Amino acid sequence: MLDIDLSMLNKGLLAESWYVALGDYIIDLAWAPKASKLAAVTVEGSVFLIEDHGGAATFKLLGEHAAGANSLSWRGDGAEFATAGQDGLVKVWHGTSGEQICTIEAGDPWVAKVAYNPRRNVLATAAGRHLKLWNDQHKVFYESSDHASTIADLGWNPVAPGIAVAAYNGITLHMPGTEKEPRKYQWKGSSLVLAWSPEAKYIATGEQDSTVHFWNVKSGEDAQMWGFPTKVLELSWDSSGRWLATGGASTICLWDCGGKGPAGRKPKQYEAHLNKLTQLAFQPDGKLLASADADSFLFLWEPFKHEKIVAGISLSSSASCLRWSKGSQLAVGQRDGNVVLFRTNGRAR
Amino acid sequence: MSIANSTVPVTVLTGFLGSGKTTLLNRILSENHGKRIAVIENEFGEIGVDNDLVIGAEEEIFEMNNGCICCTVRGDLIRILGNLMKRRDKFDHIMIETTGMADPGPVAQTFFMDDELREAMSLDGVVTLVDAKHVMLHIEDSDEVKEQIAFADVILLNKVDLVSSADLDQLEARIHSMNSAAKIYRTRDAVVDMDKVLNLGGFDLDRALEVDPKFLEPEYPFEWSGLFELEAGDYRLVLKPGPDPAMNLNFRSASAASEAAMRDTVEKAVLVFSDDEVALQTGAVIEPGEQLSQIDLEGDELVYTLRVPAAGSYVLFTEHHPDEFEAFVTDAQGKRLDALFTREYKPDHEHDEEVTSVGISTPGDLDLEKFQGWLRDLLANQGPDIFRMKGVLSFRGAKERYVFQGVHMLFDGRMDRPWREGERANSLIFIGRNLDREALNAGFNACLT
Repeated sequence: MLDIDLSMLNKGLLAESWYVALGDYIIDLAWAPKASKLAAVTVEGSVFLIEDHGGAATFKLLGEHAAGANSLSWRGDGAEFATAGQDGLVKVWHGTSGEQICTIEAGDPWVAKVAYNPRRNVLATAAGRHLKLWNDQHKVFYESSDHASTIADLGWNPVAPGIAVAAYNGITLHMPGTEKEPRKYQWKGSSLVLAWSPEAKYIATGEQDSTVHFWNVKSGEDAQMWGFPTKVLELSWDSSGRWLATGGASTICLWDCGGKGPAGRKPKQYEAHLNKLTQLAFQPDGKLLASADADSFLFLWEPFKHEKIVAGISLSSSASCLRWSKGSQLAVGQRDGNVVLFRTNGRAR
Repeated sequence: MSIANSTVPVTVLTGFLGSGKTTLLNRILSENHGKRIAVIENEFGEIGVDNDLVIGAEEEIFEMNNGCICCTVRGDLIRILGNLMKRRDKFDHIMIETTGMADPGPVAQTFFMDDELREAMSLDGVVTLVDAKHVMLHIEDSDEVKEQIAFADVILLNKVDLVSSADLDQLEARIHSMNSAAKIYRTRDAVVDMDKVLNLGGFDLDRALEVDPKFLEPEYPFEWSGLFELEAGDYRLVLKPGPDPAMNLNFRSASAASEAAMRDTVEKAVLVFSDDEVALQTGAVIEPGEQLSQIDLEGDELVYTLRVPAAGSYVLFTEHHPDEFEAFVTDAQGKRLDALFTREYKPDHEHDEEVTSVGISTPGDLDLEKFQGWLRDLLANQGPDIFRMKGVLSFRGAKERYVFQGVHMLFDGRMDRPWREGERANSLIFIGRNLDREALNAGFNACLT
C-alpha cells in the first residue's frame, strides 16, 4: 500500500521501547505530570495505570465506568486523575496508589470530558449540556448549561483564566471567578474539537461540516477554512503557536497563524499517508510532528525542514491517541488496546 | 451508503406513542436470534435484555450546511453511534427508537452526512408502527404521521384486533396511496416475523422495487368504466345531482364483449380526457367516439341519451364513480341495464398537500449528464418535499445497473452488478409531498438518449 520503503528511514529515530496490551480500544491516554506514568481509559470503560520502567512497563486495572469511558485528565501536580464515562459519573483516582478517591455525579448520563486546569487544582466536567467546575474538595463552584447541545470538547485557556466549551453553534468561553458573562463565538454548525494556541491568541475548532475555524480570542474574528473531505477531528498547534496542523483528510495541512493570521493564506501540505488521518500531535517542546492513519501507519515529520517523513512504522492497529511526554517519548494508544512507547532520540529539539 | 458485509445494519423504529414500539423492541430483543443488539432510545420505555446495550439519548437536531446542501441531522446519533462503532465487533445490529413525534428525515440524513457513519453502518430499514385504531384521527392532519409513513420501508398496522376489517382495508389503501413502496403487515401486539423487520437490506433495490404492480400504473383521469352489450338504438343515462356540478365522460365502442377489450380502450380514453370538453345540458345526445362530453349535473331530472348506431360492445368512462350520482343506464323503455364488466381506477390525486408516491418505469438508456442535471435541479427545488427516493437506472454505455437512493436533497448512488439479459430498464420511486407525476415523468424521459 505504501510507496515509501520504511526500512530506508532512520530506524533509530523511532525506536519502540515497550508495549502493553490492555485489550480494548484506547479512547484516552495521558502522561502524569512530572512522572514516568500514564493513565488510560478504554471504550468499554476500563481504567488503567501504566508505569514506565524504562525498557519495560507494568500496568494495573483500577476500575471501570459501567457504560464505557470517554475521557481522562491528570491534575497539574500529578496527585490525582479523573475519568469520565457514559454512566453519568466522574471518578477520581489517586495518582500513585491508583485507589479510587471519590465518585462525582456529573449531571447527565453522557460525560464527554474531564479537564483539570493545568495551573490550579480545579476540575472541569462536561456532562450533557452542563459544564461544572469543582474545587479541590470536589465541590461544585461554577456551573452553566448555556450550550445548544451536548458538549463535545473543553479547553482551559493555557495562560489566563477561562475555559472554552465546544458544542452545536460554536464556542462558549466561560470566565469563572470573574464578573464577566460567558462570551460566544458563534457558528451555525457543530464544533467537535477545540485547541487553544499556546499563547491563547486563537481557538481553533474542527467541525462536523468539514470546516476548520480560527477564532481570534480577543477580537472574536473568525477565519474559516473549507474544503476538507471529512469532518476534522485532528488539530495540533506547534509549540511556538504559529502553526496549526489539521487532519480531516489523508493530507496534513499546516496553517500559518503568524502575523495577520491564517485568513487568505494557503496551508503547507504534507503527503505520505494513503488513508485518512486518525491522530496528529506536535511535540510540545520540540519540532517533530507525529501523525497516524487508518491503515495503522505512524509517521514522524520535521515539517519546518522539509516535506518528507523522517521516520515511519506500521502499528498493529491504527492509533487512537498520540501523546508526547515532556522530553521526546511518544506514547501511542491503539484501537486494538495496545499502548506502545517510542523513544524519538531527542533529535530536532 | 455501503452495503458491504462489514457494515453494521441499523433499523430505525418510528411510530406514535402507544403504537407498540416498545412491545416490538422487547420482542426483537428477547427473540432467540443469537444476535447482540444495541438500542438507542429517545423515548423512555421498559426495555432491555442481559446481552444487549440500551442507551438513552435526547434528540439533538443539528442544521448542517455543507457546500450547497443544507439539511438537518441528528447530533445525538452521530455522537453515540460514532462511539458504538469503536466497539462494533461486539454488536450485530443497531436499533434506533425515535420519539413518537420525531421526523425520520434527520435520522435518515445522518447516515448520508456523516462520513464515519456512512462507512461503518448501513441503514437497513425504517420500520413504522401504526396504531390502527387511533391513526385515522391523525393521518389527515398530522405531518409527523405522514412523514413516518412516507419514510417507512415496512409499516406494521398494529392493534388490528381493535378495528373492523373494512376499516383496516380502507386504512391500508390510504397508507398504500402515500407510500406504495413500503411493505404493510397487519399485526396484533406487534407480533411479526423478525425477518420482516430486520435485515431487510433496505437498499437492496431488487426488494425495494418489488412493488405492487398497481403502483406503477398511471393515475387515471376517470374513476370508473363499464362495458355494455347494446343493440342499435337510443339508451338513457339517468343521474341525480351529486357532489360535483358537472362531470366528464367518454362513450366509445369496444372490439368485443370482454374485459380485455375494455382494457384496450383505456389508453384511448385517457387521450380523450386530455382534450377540450364539449359542454352538454340535460337531454343532449351523446354518440360513441372521440368526444369528451362534459355533462351538466345541476337540476333534479338529469337524463342524457346514448345513441348507439349499430349493435356491439360499448364502454362508458366517467370522471367520477357513478354511485356518487346514483347513475344508471336504461334502454328506451326505461329498463335498467347492467354493465357486463366494470372497473374502478385509482383517482388522480390533485390534493396539493398530499403525500404520495410516484413510480417511473421505463425502458431505454439514460444520458448521464442530462440525468445528473435534471436530478440536481429537481432536488434543489423540491428536495424538502421529497422524503425518499430509490431506483435502478440504466445508463448508456454502462454494463452495470446503477442503484441509488436518497433522502430530501441527499443522494447516493453506485454501480451495482451487471445487467442480466432482457432485464435492462429504469425503475425509480419518489415518495413525497406535492409531487407532480407528469412533470417527473416528462423530466425523466427527457434524460433518455
